[in-house]
Amino acid sequence: MFIITPVGRVISFAVKNITRNAWIGLATVLVLVLALLSVNVLVGVNALASSAVTILEKKIDVSVYFKPETPNAILDQARSYMASIPQVERVTIMTAEEALTAFTERHKNEPTILDALNELEENPLGATMVIKARKTTDYPFLMENLNNPQFSFAIENKTYDDHSIAIQQVEQIADSVRYFGLILTLIFAIFSALIVYNAIRVAIYTQREEIGIMRLVGASNAFVRLPLILDAIFFAILSLAIAAGLVALIISFGEPYLVSFYDGEDPGLKSYFVDNLLPLIIAQGMAIIIIVSLSSWAAVGRYLKK
Amino acid sequence: MIDLQNISKIYGSDVHGLRDINLSIEPGEFVCIVGTSGAGKTTLAKLLIAEERPTRGKISIGGWDITRIKKRDIPYLRRQIGVVFQDFKLLKQKTVWENVAFALEVSGETNRRIRETVPHVLKVVGLEQKAHRFPHQISGGEQQRVVIARALVHRPKILLADEPTGNLDTINTADVIQVLKKINDFGSTVVLVTHNREVVNELRSRVITLADGRIISDKKHGKYLIQS
Ligand SMILES: Nc1ncnc2c1ncn2[C@@H]1O[C@H](COP(=O)(O)OP(=O)(O)OP(=O)(O)O)[C@@H](O)[C@H]1O
Ligand SMILES: [Mg+2]
Repeated sequence: MFIITPVGRVISFAVKNITRNAWIGLATVLVLVLALLSVNVLVGVNALASSAVTILEKKIDVSVYFKPETPNAILDQARSYMASIPQVERVTIMTAEEALTAFTERHKNEPTILDALNELEENPLGATMVIKARKTTDYPFLMENLNNPQFSFAIENKTYDDHSIAIQQVEQIADSVRYFGLILTLIFAIFSALIVYNAIRVAIYTQREEIGIMRLVGASNAFVRLPLILDAIFFAILSLAIAAGLVALIISFGEPYLVSFYDGEDPGLKSYFVDNLLPLIIAQGMAIIIIVSLSSWAAVGRYLKK
Repeated sequence: MIDLQNISKIYGSDVHGLRDINLSIEPGEFVCIVGTSGAGKTTLAKLLIAEERPTRGKISIGGWDITRIKKRDIPYLRRQIGVVFQDFKLLKQKTVWENVAFALEVSGETNRRIRETVPHVLKVVGLEQKAHRFPHQISGGEQQRVVIARALVHRPKILLADEPTGNLDTINTADVIQVLKKINDFGSTVVLVTHNREVVNELRSRVITLADGRIISDKKHGKYLIQS
């Protein structure tokens, strides 16, 4: 009873304020939502960039083409040697026959090529070994290891499928988006603090008579201050809910359009937000609540100081 | 009850509100404070409720030294002094009952206490019949009595009224003064700031006259001195 009565009253005063200054409240919520959206754009760009890099990294590998008629024993030796290097994640071998099958399959609608192939008595293709490293930085080291005299004489050609330039570009774009996103977020954070401050000043102005009376009849400062801070926190939570809804909407409508940029692979936007839902909501909720609490506290404080 | 020692109040750097006031008011007294405009009457009242701080001197209320009172203690001081100020009005959108109850609500009193206290103070000022009217539906004197009722909700030992009859006609003025006398009869100390010659002369109580921030007269059963 001792605690419940004042708490209930503080809440009902807070609700009354909101209904009285609905338009200011709306403007406040709008700016808070924009601030939250800009943060989430930042988060989204990070997620998109890191999944793009992962996809590109997956594509990096070394293909080693052996001369035709290389004996299987040499192939096995090459394979087991490379597979024994700890930096190697996976080694796959396509035999000459498999390579031929794959080749004819790929060119089955091109009779001239198939005819030319039939002219040859022997299989012109050699075996192919594909090596995948655990880390992209290990490829130069692996390339050196291919010079092993036990099998290097049988190697006709090597290609290192390097995507490091593409990776660099993705990271550069992501960096500049992050940079502008950060500035945008900072600007909106400052706007948020300012608009909350002003919304609370307006709320104080519209109820200056009540507040004057409260202070003269000996209401504790908490009774003046808490309903106003509660209003600000209410705005923050409402904005958080609206922003969350908008982000969900934008992702579910927007992500399908991104798939084509990702070679048909998952851009990882939705999965990132779903996986990190709780930490994202907690971090953003805390940040926005701290901002609005501090600025509304300051707004009321300036009034109470008189 | 109220004790002022060598109190001076200077606004800004050179506006003297009060100059070296020494004053002692006993419990249960009815004191009128009179003086020309700008004499420092409102300044004195504001010092008593810690709305302003003295520049020099010492104030204590009921033995409590409030000269350098902490901001968070001010609410407790204000619950011990009922205040009726001229510019301290009723809330138009609230009924008489709600206006009085508001003072209790914002002090964190329980609903039960509110239901007990509001009828009681409305009875003291003779307005229990008009509890559910809005301010614009009652006379100016009745409005001022509601303000007094609101000042009484914490059962203050001191009632401080700064020109409560300023805008009232003779009949309404008499009603308000009647209520103040009744509160004084119940044992509260009443400090009444007024310009009204008839009121002062009929009350035959202690009269303190201020001029230019100084006490120029303090009479046990005084009369209104200055001609306005
Ligand atoms: N907040 C303030 N800032 C500066 N000067 C002030 C302030 N309040 C009062 N004063 C000055 O202090 C002096 C005393 O003012 P005060 O209000 O106490 O007079 P008063 O006796 O109540 O007058 P009135 O009868 O007109 O209400 C005046 O000269 C006034 O101009
Ligand atoms: Mg005055």
